[in-house]
Amino acid sequence: MASADKPINTDVPEKDVFTLHFLQSLSNLRRQNTFNSPEKTNDRVKKIKKAAYVSMARAAGGTNRLWSRALLRRAAKENSKVVRFPRRKKRVTCLRRRRSNRRDPVEEEEAERLRNLVPGGGGMETSKLMEETAHYIKCLSMQVKVMQCLVDGLAPK
Amino acid sequence: MSSRRSSRSRQSSGSSRISDDQISDLVTRLQHLIPELRRRRSDKVSASTVLQETCNYIRNLHREVDDLSDRLSELLATTDDNSAEAAIIRSLLNY
Repeated sequence: MASADKPINTDVPEKDVFTLHFLQSLSNLRRQNTFNSPEKTNDRVKKIKKAAYVSMARAAGGTNRLWSRALLRRAAKENSKVVRFPRRKKRVTCLRRRRSNRRDPVEEEEAERLRNLVPGGGGMETSKLMEETAHYIKCLSMQVKVMQCLVDGLAPK
Repeated sequence: MSSRRSSRSRQSSGSSRISDDQISDLVTRLQHLIPELRRRRSDKVSASTVLQETCNYIRNLHREVDDLSDRLSELLATTDDNSAEAAIIRSLLNY
């Protein structure tokens, strides 16, 4: 029996947390006049998509999760903003033991594909990757629900 | 010290934080999260199948976000402020 198994928590916040963050992002976009200007549609769509991912990362716990940190870091790099993360007490073990040698090769191949899909997955050990994936999937589906509700609300009856 | 030996030799690693039990728990959890596999809950699904379906599911979700961003972009550009506010309130109350 392993002595101190850290309980794995994959709970995500309620839907309204995601809604709030997303609406805040959208209202920021509106303030920048994104929706009224005769801008190219692609730019508008890209901004909305980015707002969706960033607000999802913030709602999900910001810097407390590896995937959301990676997402926010990537977004900030695109804006070339300086991002400050609070110092973590534990060193993030992304450089040590990246792969677990005890997984069989078929799983590792699939895990590699997963690493490309989950933000920040590249530095994660396989078991950590799965934990992050579970959380990421929950948050993604929550974000999709929020956006669907918004679309339903806006669509002409 | 437990002398439970799996067929694969377990490395004595002080840095390993997640045990085999927790990993199979995670695989089960992932299985429950993915709609494709939830129906097959009674059957034993292999870990690599779970990982495969997880990849597909994530790709689907990304695609949905893309689609919804498209539609939102159209809708937000064409609705006036009043109906947008009403729609937002409606969507917030809609659970």
